[in-house]
Amino acid sequence: MQYDVELKNIKKQFNKQDVVKGFNLQVKKGEFISFLGPSGCGKTTTLNMLAGFLDPSEGELFIKGKRMNNIPPYKRELGMVFQTYSLFPHMTVFENVAYGLKLRKKPKAEIESRVRKVLELVQLPHLHDRFPNQLSGGQRQRIAIARALVTEPSILLLDEPLSNLDAKLRVELRDELKRLHKQLGVTTIFVTHDQEEALSLSDRIVVMSHGNIEQIGTPNEIYNQPKSEFVHTFIGQTNQFEGNIKSINGSQIQILSKDGVVFNTVVSDSRFQVGESVNLFIRPESIFLGKEHNNSLDTACIQGKIKLVTFLGSITEYHVAIGDHDLVVRTQQPQKEWIEGADVLCCWNIENQLLIRREM
Amino acid sequence: MEQTSQLKLKAPSKLEHIIFSKWVVYLLLTPALIVLIGVFFIPMLLMLVQSLTDEQSNFTLANYALFFSEPFYWGVLWQTIKLSTFTVLGALILSYPVAMFMAQSKGKIRAIVTFLVLLPHLVSVVIRNFGWTIILNDRGMINTILLEAGIIDQPLRLMYNELGTVIGLVDSFVAYMILAIATSLYTINPSLYKAGAIMGANKVRNFISITLPLSLPGVYSGIVLVFSLSMSAFVTPTLLGGTSVKVMPALTYQQIMFTLNWPLGAAISFILLGTTIFLVSTFTKVTETKRYKVVFKS
Ligand SMILES: Nc1ncnc2c1ncn2[C@@H]1O[C@H](COP(=O)(O)OP(=O)(O)O)[C@@H](O)[C@H]1O
Ligand SMILES: [Mg+2]
Repeated sequence: MQYDVELKNIKKQFNKQDVVKGFNLQVKKGEFISFLGPSGCGKTTTLNMLAGFLDPSEGELFIKGKRMNNIPPYKRELGMVFQTYSLFPHMTVFENVAYGLKLRKKPKAEIESRVRKVLELVQLPHLHDRFPNQLSGGQRQRIAIARALVTEPSILLLDEPLSNLDAKLRVELRDELKRLHKQLGVTTIFVTHDQEEALSLSDRIVVMSHGNIEQIGTPNEIYNQPKSEFVHTFIGQTNQFEGNIKSINGSQIQILSKDGVVFNTVVSDSRFQVGESVNLFIRPESIFLGKEHNNSLDTACIQGKIKLVTFLGSITEYHVAIGDHDLVVRTQQPQKEWIEGADVLCCWNIENQLLIRREM
Repeated sequence: MEQTSQLKLKAPSKLEHIIFSKWVVYLLLTPALIVLIGVFFIPMLLMLVQSLTDEQSNFTLANYALFFSEPFYWGVLWQTIKLSTFTVLGALILSYPVAMFMAQSKGKIRAIVTFLVLLPHLVSVVIRNFGWTIILNDRGMINTILLEAGIIDQPLRLMYNELGTVIGLVDSFVAYMILAIATSLYTINPSLYKAGAIMGANKVRNFISITLPLSLPGVYSGIVLVFSLSMSAFVTPTLLGGTSVKVMPALTYQQIMFTLNWPLGAAISFILLGTTIFLVSTFTKVTETKRYKVVFKS
């Protein structure tokens, strides 16, 4: 199978410092991929290597099956939108959008009709003769998107395109991007440090930290089955138990938490040994409250007492005391008997938990 | 609540009221205004009056009429304009690459280059012109090398002519051009080049469609600066131009110091001033198109 984008063990060093440490990714035609990670984790560097502004120190890069190492950006046939709009300030909206077509020496009539069409696509058909400094931030970014799309690029690269906009516009333009992607089906790589943007837009998310890929998966997988402590803590909220393994019985593991609570859980492999220090992570949304253990093998439960109930509209948040520890639980279906002071059983499906050895 | 009261801005004190009142501002401007009026506007006015009166203190345009009726005089004006124009062109060609280098380099290197550009200005223009004499004269460095190498057998005439004058003027004023252009190059957002490249523009194309148009404000102000300075230059044309080069400031000097014809000298200097103002404002009018104003002035 031919991928639209393929990165094979891409590495990048600046002054002997590893900024991207072995990036492997395959993007299918029409996919919307997000690079998600905190500022400085190497997202822009990776995107710039894809665009051709930087050469990888190591590794291979393919676009539509063609090896792209050492091919300059102007020959890659990509579209790109930057955080700082980057419209040409001395050109009108029309000239900005038409620029790529002019470089390709398209006939005048074709340029005009394509520019008109793409400006309608981003819902700004009436701004032809304005200059960028006569536009609002949201309008500028829409024009920048139009400019990137007008040449019908094979891949669309977006480097934090929404980060300079205020909150309301950001959501508006996010939905706009989603609509455009649905309508055009252009393979898109979207860089962001905003988990909401990544979760709401992407077919798959690449979570990055310190130049490493932490996890690649659908928004659902990333949120509900985080594979590393970083993904657990960077995205959404999470509960953390510190403890020791008290006993192991096949795949059943008994954990003694730091504040003296014992509970059982199940792991799919047997990497652990009795006495080891471990951390267990579980998201508030993954926990369900109940009275009785359903005794199924893939459920782990722990007894606690409700300390605090907070009604948040569509969801209700419970703080459940487990020893000295608070477990945060969120549910969309609160029950009448779950009141402050009530004893409850907090359970979760083990595929939603992350149990890892604690580094000493 | 206590916390919110802390956030409130402190009301300006009486002292602050006094310090920032506009009367104090005017008061602080007064010394500079007095100097400007005393040593600039009043002498200028006196010169203007002098250029417009005869010996009996009657109004006359005779001095101006004399200037324009004498081909020798407007020949001098023409030569002044010509030399200034060539100086602008020379400075422009030399400056652009330097300014681009400065814009592309960062931090330390940029600071060093800026220092090097300004360095010659720590030396008096007279000394620098004598330096050029050593390099350019008939037995100077350049001619000696070319003669020794057998490339020429007669020394080239590199100074005491228009060429020498332009070389000296370019040397004097090129720094203004470099800094003016560099300043406008600094403001270009580097991601514009990325945007250009990803749309299919190579480096040359990016230069033509991004760098050049966006550096225009710097280029224009560099041109105006260097042109005005060249029009009023006195030392360099005198030292490096010799007898064959005559410019307006030198003509004024001659009328006032040697011929002792103050009215004519005053008229000449006002003709020079008027010409410079006219040429510069025409240049500005022509270059500042509607588009230019929208892009760079709003
Ligand atoms: N040209 C460069 N030279 C040296 N270090 C760089 C350069 N570009 C980026 N870096 C460093 O590489 C790291 C990753 O940067 P970047 O890819 O821009 O992060 P992100 O886009 O995820 O915020 C940062 O620590 C940054 O300081
Ligand atoms: Mg970045």
